[in-house]
Amino acid sequence: MEEKKDKTGLLREVLDGAAGLAGSYAATLTHLFRRPVTEQYPEYKRPMPARTRGRIILTRSPDGKERCVACYLCSGACPVNCISMQSEEGPDGRRRAAWFRINFARCIYCGLCEEACPTLALQLTPEFAFCKDAIEDFVYEKEDLLVDHGGKDPDYDFYAHAGVAAGRPKGEHIGEDEPVDVKSILP
Amino acid sequence: MPDLIIDGRPVRVPKGTPVIAAAESLGIVIPRFCWHPALGAAGACRMCAVMFLDGPVKGLEMSCMVPAADGMVVETFHPEAVTFRRRVVELLMANHPHDCPVCDEGGHCLLQDETISGGHALRRFPGRKRTYLDQDLGPFIQHEMNRCIHCYRCARFYQEYCGYLDFGPMQNANRVYFGRFASGPLESPFSGNLADICPTGTLTDKPGRYKSRRWDCQRAPSVCPHCSLGCATVALSRYREVVRVEARENPAVNGHFICDRGRYSFGYAASAERPRQARADGVPTSMSTALALAGTRLGGVVEAFGPEAVAVVGSARSSLETQTALTALARAGGWRGPAFFADRTEQQAVAAALAALAGGRARSLAEIGQADAVLCLGVSPLHDAPMLALSLRQAARAGAVVAVADPRPATLPLPFTHLPLAPDKLPGAAALLTGAEAADAAAIQRALPLSPELWPALERLAPAFAAAGNPVLVFAPALAAQAPADARFGLFPVLCGPNAAGAALVADADAPACDDLARAIEAGEVKGLVLAEADAAALSPRLAAALPGLETLVVLDHLPTPSFAAAKVFLPTQTLFESGGTLCNNEARLQYAAPVAPPGEPVSRDGRGGHPPRDYARKLPGTDPLPAAALCAVLALEMGLDMPALSFAAFTGVGPEDVAPEGTRATRLPAAPTAPAPPSAPPGQGLVVVRDDALFATDAYGRYAPLARAQAPAASVVRLHPDDAAGLGLADGEALTVTVGDRRIEATLAVSAAVARGAAVVPRLPGWAGLPAAIGPETLRRRQP
Ligand code: SF4
Ligand code: SF4
Ligand code: FES
Repeated sequence: MEEKKDKTGLLREVLDGAAGLAGSYAATLTHLFRRPVTEQYPEYKRPMPARTRGRIILTRSPDGKERCVACYLCSGACPVNCISMQSEEGPDGRRRAAWFRINFARCIYCGLCEEACPTLALQLTPEFAFCKDAIEDFVYEKEDLLVDHGGKDPDYDFYAHAGVAAGRPKGEHIGEDEPVDVKSILP
Repeated sequence: MPDLIIDGRPVRVPKGTPVIAAAESLGIVIPRFCWHPALGAAGACRMCAVMFLDGPVKGLEMSCMVPAADGMVVETFHPEAVTFRRRVVELLMANHPHDCPVCDEGGHCLLQDETISGGHALRRFPGRKRTYLDQDLGPFIQHEMNRCIHCYRCARFYQEYCGYLDFGPMQNANRVYFGRFASGPLESPFSGNLADICPTGTLTDKPGRYKSRRWDCQRAPSVCPHCSLGCATVALSRYREVVRVEARENPAVNGHFICDRGRYSFGYAASAERPRQARADGVPTSMSTALALAGTRLGGVVEAFGPEAVAVVGSARSSLETQTALTALARAGGWRGPAFFADRTEQQAVAAALAALAGGRARSLAEIGQADAVLCLGVSPLHDAPMLALSLRQAARAGAVVAVADPRPATLPLPFTHLPLAPDKLPGAAALLTGAEAADAAAIQRALPLSPELWPALERLAPAFAAAGNPVLVFAPALAAQAPADARFGLFPVLCGPNAAGAALVADADAPACDDLARAIEAGEVKGLVLAEADAAALSPRLAAALPGLETLVVLDHLPTPSFAAAKVFLPTQTLFESGGTLCNNEARLQYAAPVAPPGEPVSRDGRGGHPPRDYARKLPGTDPLPAAALCAVLALEMGLDMPALSFAAFTGVGPEDVAPEGTRATRLPAAPTAPAPPSAPPGQGLVVVRDDALFATDAYGRYAPLARAQAPAASVVRLHPDDAAGLGLADGEALTVTVGDRRIEATLAVSAAVARGAAVVPRLPGWAGLPAAIGPETLRRRQP
């Protein structure tokens, strides 16, 4: 009894093995005649989806002005504390960054800063690979981060919505009434 | 004492407590905008709605408007109350601008917190937003009226609590506006508190505008070092620079508020002029070289002339830790001092003022607010101790009688009687009002024969003080002898520096004063001097003049004083923000100021306005300064002296570990020394010189704070009574040349009947320190064009 069972088992194993070999040879053979899926990076750089989380930029509003108001929300949201800045009042009365620094050697590209940014100034771009010889070179200052376009949201202008007089006079922002006349005696 | 139940937890509170405060005592914080513990309820914002399930009041009510009563059952999370509060927030947000990213309140904004806790996130209201034009409210408060939620906190604080009327609400209905009639600086010396109490970003701190977010600041409880009251503050520091000072609640001292001097005079710590590096003979050097040099030089003096040839001077602005370390250093070396005061008289006066507090007669600022009669004797509240004026106002609001007997013109935001009397007349007036002498019309006329205009006021005041159940005498130390024996009177001295009381407690009764040391230097007995956080020019002009006679002058300080410039060896010390320290205020209350941030050149200057330098592993600039107490210990080590371990507990009876958060009164007060002789009339003709503080830049630190200095009046003013001005042939507004020693100071003359006859009121600035006690036409001269 025992011996017979062993014999049939051995036969099945041999057949299975042969089928497996034939199958993989067949797969290799068919692939030989297919178009390759591998891309020759870095000769070929695949276009990445716009929302890929790579190197960070500071964008500008449609009027070409700096969008960043140095509100410290990105630096507050950053889980690895790689953003630092100093806010100040610019000559046009707009709040802006006197300096703005991101340490990309520390950044984990989580995108929390972009989510926190209320003016859509800070955006992550699809550029994911930028190598440096020295680690200090990963410390990007404001002039390295600032670009001359609006990135993914080219149309948004924070100062058109905010209520502060920097940028537009009171009452002329989107959805605002004329300023109240405090000295009027009309009911 | 009503018993009630809030959220299922029983609580007993004093009668009259609103339900919102009762809940807070259980740790339940009901959302609120308009209610403030110091200002009370207005019922304006409707945010504090809670459900009253049982008791005398039933239904949805405002917890700030309903006093707690027996049998109340309150539920703060009742679904109806929660919905109501959510709708209120939504309504308040209907007009709120989309400003949070550019608003300085962001991060510590009550409106942000309540909006989020109320669950409002998406705007449903399709209408347009109301807007307002803003005003320029001066250097301290930034106005952004669109953000206002009309809680009336600012108006109630400014007008009711402080008594100033230039800022308040106007217009009606949906157009209510909080501002001034026209743009212009706020008049109140307490205006900075508006930034603290406004629950939105409508009124924010202008000097700190666009500087930082609250969450990025290092914060620590501190104590204000700009007058002797020692108000509780919070210091906020970022990037090695104090960016803001705010009020901290101390129920016994300042309540919830501080004055603008205390709030805006912090700039000395990060000032560009602050000396941060050690110097030897005027040349910058390392701390260790300078310390070794100080040791050698002082050692040389000791060797050549004996230990008595070295003297130590401290000051009323140093912490108790520093004052104690100086004492230990002087004892270890057998040196003279430390001297803390200009002369013996001043030291004895401060000691006598503290001695008078024994037996539970000391009053706190909070207790002054509850007094029914207050006499300020030789004290000008707004200038000598600004927050005192706010306490007096609270007393006056409750019906107290307030009188200020002082030679200087006094303005106060409350009904009060000013008795402009020359210093020598003050004891007489005090005797009449404190009941030491019968105060009938005849006695009044006898005491003040030359001031008939004051008789009616005194006749009115004397019976009010006699009938008062809880009167307080606020007095300058020179008038300590006038403290009445009548135990009804509480006592509140106002002293000449943040830690003057500490200095008087630490100083030996027979310690030399600065004038004594000056005499010893002139006589060639003292050859080496250690000035620790003391400016000879401000303390004693005579000592300043004697400095060139020294062989060596070692200065420890963090202010760029004239003494720093004269130092042979200079050792930089840390400020109160950096080292922390204990200060003893005017009522002998010890309070601890915690260190906020270590010393260092602010990042803003280090990076020259741009980003911070990118070098690795460098020594941060400006980090040399050490606590003065530590420098004393190292100096002792350098010189091989055995410095005794001394704690300030030995002088105050209260050790560092016993200082409670709200402060602890010293238990060892000076044994009643001989009270100073009352001020006497100057011999011969002449006007008694009376020094007056200004709100800004006359205190030791404020003089070196750029923002405070910018608020100081451009021209120095000398004030005279019309009779005295006429006697000198001078008219109001005239340009004067004042001769101080061998220098001439330019000033303008202001003539006013609010100045005492026979007094010349001059600014309390170091430049004016050299005036004699009485001056005449040879000192005050019309300026020749
Ligand atoms: S300005 Fe501020 S404190 Fe005054 S009413 Fe408006 S929100 Fe309240
Ligand atoms: S009253 Fe005096 S201690 Fe209080 S905040 Fe003003 S200066 Fe500072
Ligand atoms: S806090 Fe009670 S109504 Fe405003």
